[in-house]
Amino acid sequence: MAPPRAYQCEAVTLKKFPLGEADLLVTLYTRERGKVRALARGARRSNSKLMGHFEPLTQVKLSLAQGRDLDHVVQAQVVSGFALLKGDLGAIAKGLYVAELVDGFGSESNPNQPLYRLVIEALHAIEAAPESDLPLRFFELHLLQVSGLMPELYRCVECRQTLTPGRHRFSPNLGGALCLDCNPTDARLRPLSLRTLKVLRLLHRTPIAELPALSMDAALARELKALLSTTIQYWLDKEIRSNSFLEHVHHVAGTEV
Amino acid sequence: MSSEQIPSAAPSLSRLIQELQKLPGIGPKSAQRLAYYLIRLPDDDAYALADAITAVKQQIVLCAECQNLTDDSPCSICSDSRRDQDVVCVVEDPLDVLALERTRCFRGLYHVLHGVISPLNGIGPEQLKLKELYARLSGKQVQELVIATNATLEGEATAMYIRRQLAGSELKITHLARGLPVGGALEYTDELTLSRAFQGRQEL
Ligand SMILES: [Zn+2]
Ligand SMILES: [Zn+2]
Repeated sequence: MAPPRAYQCEAVTLKKFPLGEADLLVTLYTRERGKVRALARGARRSNSKLMGHFEPLTQVKLSLAQGRDLDHVVQAQVVSGFALLKGDLGAIAKGLYVAELVDGFGSESNPNQPLYRLVIEALHAIEAAPESDLPLRFFELHLLQVSGLMPELYRCVECRQTLTPGRHRFSPNLGGALCLDCNPTDARLRPLSLRTLKVLRLLHRTPIAELPALSMDAALARELKALLSTTIQYWLDKEIRSNSFLEHVHHVAGTEV
Repeated sequence: MSSEQIPSAAPSLSRLIQELQKLPGIGPKSAQRLAYYLIRLPDDDAYALADAITAVKQQIVLCAECQNLTDDSPCSICSDSRRDQDVVCVVEDPLDVLALERTRCFRGLYHVLHGVISPLNGIGPEQLKLKELYARLSGKQVQELVIATNATLEGEATAMYIRRQLAGSELKITHLARGLPVGGALEYTDELTLSRAFQGRQEL
């Protein structure tokens, strides 16, 4: 029998599921192969060399052996455990939301290095500013971009005219902004204020580490969030389960101060 | 994946296989093996198993105090006056109570959450036995709450959530120490465990 083919990769754990007495079934997003489901044998035993390496939101270097159904983890080394993120309840909620969306948008045996880089950058940004919602908005917009679904922000998606400064509308299903003159029947139109459009363009062209600390009022933050999440929801086409905890944590934090 | 793949199985047998397959960690192959094992069991043993399942479903209730599984509420731990009534230890599920009882080092009371906050599975705080916990704590008796959720991301998030909900109360809230497992080697220990173990170092 030929020895199993082994390969090295770098990955972030999206979720884990206990299997049998002591094994873990892990969903990884790898830099080299896109989404990979792998078996970590014995990883739940406290004396296992793999113990603790596959908590969700952990960046690891791995060596995996190809199996018939599932690949097996041979070795793992933590690159970043995001310990600060994991010490903040709001940041955990945000990190798990990121993980769920990557699980939804990433596909198996379809490497997407920009998506891998985006996840890592987003987790670092959440860790650096756990109170801010901007890292999540950045993540959502760039998730659409690296998935080939970037909304149009400069021209009307219908008449292709360059958008003039002013109020516009946005359609998640037609893929971006619309001028006030165009009224396609199947568009799920939402209002798009000039302020929101400007923030979207800024998020689009600024690297996450260089994002300025924008002070957005509640109305602007709400419009931006609603617009991005309806677009994400439209493409994902299934319930985002981590959303309710994210909202819950937000709500509790909001009433405390 | 279903037992329909064995066309020769008698209907009563495929029904058993189907039921066994619903158990955690039991795939179609294991379900078949278990079913054939059960068929070969002496009648008494097989009926004893069926009886045990029926009895447990009919008799087990949740303890009104600690929410642990019990035949009589309050359970034997909650009704034991020799136990320290000032300390309540919060655990994820009933098996954790058994594990802690085996250590014989805790003499207080428990509170079983029946789960852990798990956003990716759609399980939020409202699905846990938290209202029952807050109600117990609103009395003056309890002085210390020991949070003994698992050292997983979800266990930690649940611990943080409870601590936040109880912020401002006079209760002493503690958390089991995180650190090296007995027999664990530094070399193979993940970064987070090592840093927590370092923070929790003790004088020799
Ligand atoms: Zn137009
Ligand atoms: Zn009890």
